[in-house]
Amino acid sequence: MNYTELTNKLVSKALDLGADAAEVFLETGRNLSIQVLNGEIDTIEEAASAGVGFRVIVDGKSGFSHCNDFSEKSMEETLKMAIEFAKLTTPDENNVLTDNEGITEVEGLFDPEISSIPMEQKIDMALKLEKMTLEDPRISKSSGASFGEAEGEVFIANSNGISKSYKTNGCSVGVSVVAEKGEQKNTGGEYCSRRFFKDLTALDEIAKKAADDAAALIDPQMIPTQKAPVIVHPDAAGSLIRGIISALNGERVLQGASFLKDSMDKSFASPLLTIVDDGTRAKGMGSAPFDGEGVPTQKRVLVEKGVVKGFIYNTKVAKRAGVSSTGNASRRGFDGLPGIGTHNIYVEPGDKTPEEIIASTKNGLMVTQITGYGINAVNGNFSGGASGFWIENGKIKHPVKGVTIAGTADEILNAIDMMGNDLDLNKSFSVPTFRVKEMMIGGA
Amino acid sequence: MMKNYSVSDIPRRDFLKMSMKGGLLIATTPALLTSLNGCSPEAAMQQSGFGIDPVLLKKVIAKALEKGGDFADVYLENRVSRQIVMEESKFKNGLYGISQGAGVRVISGNKTGYAYTDEITEEKLLRAAEVASYVARNSATTTPVDINKTDRKSFITVERPLEDIADSQRIEMIQRANDAAMSYNPVIKMASVDYYDEIRGRIIANSEGVYLQDENPLMFFIVQTMSDNGKARHMSRERLSKHSGFEMFDKFTPEQVAERAAREAVAMLDAEAAPAGMMDVVMMNGWGGVLVHEAVGHPLEADNISKGIGAFTGKMGQKVASDVFTMVDDGSIPNARGTINYDDEGTQAQRNVLIEDGILKGYMTDVLSAKQLGMERTGNGRRESFRNIPIPRMTNTFIDSGESDPADILSSTKKGLYVQSLSGGSVNPVTGVFNFTCREAYLIENGKKTKPVKGATLIGSCLDVISNIDAVGNDLDFGPGICGKGQSAEVDAGQPTVRIRGINVGGSRS
Repeated sequence: MNYTELTNKLVSKALDLGADAAEVFLETGRNLSIQVLNGEIDTIEEAASAGVGFRVIVDGKSGFSHCNDFSEKSMEETLKMAIEFAKLTTPDENNVLTDNEGITEVEGLFDPEISSIPMEQKIDMALKLEKMTLEDPRISKSSGASFGEAEGEVFIANSNGISKSYKTNGCSVGVSVVAEKGEQKNTGGEYCSRRFFKDLTALDEIAKKAADDAAALIDPQMIPTQKAPVIVHPDAAGSLIRGIISALNGERVLQGASFLKDSMDKSFASPLLTIVDDGTRAKGMGSAPFDGEGVPTQKRVLVEKGVVKGFIYNTKVAKRAGVSSTGNASRRGFDGLPGIGTHNIYVEPGDKTPEEIIASTKNGLMVTQITGYGINAVNGNFSGGASGFWIENGKIKHPVKGVTIAGTADEILNAIDMMGNDLDLNKSFSVPTFRVKEMMIGGA
Repeated sequence: MMKNYSVSDIPRRDFLKMSMKGGLLIATTPALLTSLNGCSPEAAMQQSGFGIDPVLLKKVIAKALEKGGDFADVYLENRVSRQIVMEESKFKNGLYGISQGAGVRVISGNKTGYAYTDEITEEKLLRAAEVASYVARNSATTTPVDINKTDRKSFITVERPLEDIADSQRIEMIQRANDAAMSYNPVIKMASVDYYDEIRGRIIANSEGVYLQDENPLMFFIVQTMSDNGKARHMSRERLSKHSGFEMFDKFTPEQVAERAAREAVAMLDAEAAPAGMMDVVMMNGWGGVLVHEAVGHPLEADNISKGIGAFTGKMGQKVASDVFTMVDDGSIPNARGTINYDDEGTQAQRNVLIEDGILKGYMTDVLSAKQLGMERTGNGRRESFRNIPIPRMTNTFIDSGESDPADILSSTKKGLYVQSLSGGSVNPVTGVFNFTCREAYLIENGKKTKPVKGATLIGSCLDVISNIDAVGNDLDFGPGICGKGQSAEVDAGQPTVRIRGINVGGSRS
């Protein structure tokens, strides 16, 4: 089926049925997931599927419907339901569709090699990775290894004459294991996902990281409740940074539901904190030529040296705010309306190696995992569970599990006094190691 | 990576996506892999069984077992959903969705093959069967039993069918909730009301001869309010959800839901920093049961047990909790959000006692884990949609009622934290380490609930927490939520008022 033609046809159909404006978002996908356990195949899942979402505007009112049945009758009925549902909503002058015809050129979003690799080879990779990880004497059990791949194609057309599409794919390989000692158990794992098959990290490297991850926290010691410096490892850093991203959501800001609502061009964090959203990075896992409603993606500085430089918007919220869309309409799929989200977020690296940061910390906690919801975007409160290592006289002393860390965004983000240089741009959310000068730690 | 299992009280799609370290697949084809909010049926179900001939299902099962295998099933699903969202006193979105498809599964020894299609045609179903059969190559095969209409009890009654409800009635409920929230107190600056309903039809047929078909409604009504007094802000939430018709609102009015949300938003404006460290916690009856859902329920799902890695592996029949602690999973509570009639593999839902007076009595199984462990099927094999494989999941999970008067539990606790509601949390099912975030909590001073404190995290390990529960009230109640374990499932969590001696609280002051 020619989906470009179909989406354009469906836009016309929507107008014929009474919509004043219409957008058709069609998505097709194919995925493969291989799970192995203890040297055997555990699960193989494979499927291809497709669906379409209709957004219509009628008298300033917006309605949405979706279906995954491509028969003409079914699509027409679903389209009619979008128009019916629009009538239920409140008219809003901000209900507009983009007329931006641009497409950002992004390299490396599709690897033709992935799908041509035989199934057996993919199964073998997962089996080999599990075997290598289990060879580590510290590791007692496997919770499984996996290989996954996914391919998707997106088609967007709207009544402003937009008609665009792009295709992406990617693959991943990972393992998760258990380290045991007496009654103690600790899980760990490592996983790598890339746009290109040949860019996947070597299996022995993944195996080593997974084993280290599981074994590292064996024989933890409890620490007393206290205030102390906290070094945040890249694996844990997302928990503190994600709340900032949510608070930069332009709609939350307009609703007053963000702790950064009055912070545009004002300092709210340490000058060491610069955050960038880059939808254009070659081979980026979060990259795309345009966002969920067809607006070209950009590379934008959101926070510069602790100062808010940009909120993030889709077309509707941008109009309400009196600005242009920043290319941040996020779509979780064909079955939902565009929300607001980011592409590849990273924090600008600093000049310290992680070793230097540890060495310059007399006593403190290095956290490698934070559990919980992170910083609350509404009021900036933060409280989470943490595990990692206790540092004494600039050296790692012993593992720590089962403690809490807490504070407010204001206290924590302004207290960042060291920023690491260890940024891994292969992830769609990457933060280097950083240190918070002082935080409340809840222990014994 | 070992994924932590999570639970939340409202759909958290983006949160789930980000929290899954397997995020790649999701980054490329979000909806196809995580239609957390699948959508649902009506028209297609009116033809008997999606217009599918049972003879075809038989053919699909035979095809699935052609290369070998012990068990095969085919699952067909059709959902029609409606969602209407009001925010800032405007009807912001109206969403309607139809989703249908089928999945074919083959089990051969410990191996599972799965494939799905969203086109329910003979060609596509047979193709899915062939793809799923790949794992069973070179293994012994089973001859499928002829499928026959199978009887199962139903625990879902409908007085006012959703298909008879005009959208104007849905709109009215939303408007009423919004008005009640906004007029509650001038510090309430914003309300958001999210109305969702769906009808999910399913057909299940398997190589053991089971052939089942049903259609069930689900309603989910969420009110959030934001208070702001210029100094502090709090976003509160209240939910109502049932597998029932529109009569849900006859029993609980939209105003009641809104007022509860607004009350919390106002109360929490005065919240102070919470203390940090170990303290006694009294947890109010209701949704607080989500703590044991996570901390104890997930580790009792049999998939990790059968892999030999679960936190409760090898502890059957042993004392694992205090004497006052009894925990149950029951998919047969009339019209509850977690009620399923029978699971997505066709096993009848039932009341399963997991821990009785502190002794471990049962795991929650699906077809595969029951076979691996040599145990009975408990009716816990659930799936998010036809795009997912069934796995052991909870339904309505709760700490059973005890004997203490809730007022006595509080008054006999000298110092600690009174947790009135939790947002949600997560657990590592292997180690049993969990974390929870309080949404509404108060200090306990001299046996009394005093000042509200800011959302603190509670952390601990499952075996510690159930050994440290020393008082269980007689006021069992439930709350609705969404459980995430790679796929999402609608659940209820419940408990009477309980006291946990010594839990680590993540406060920001000493």
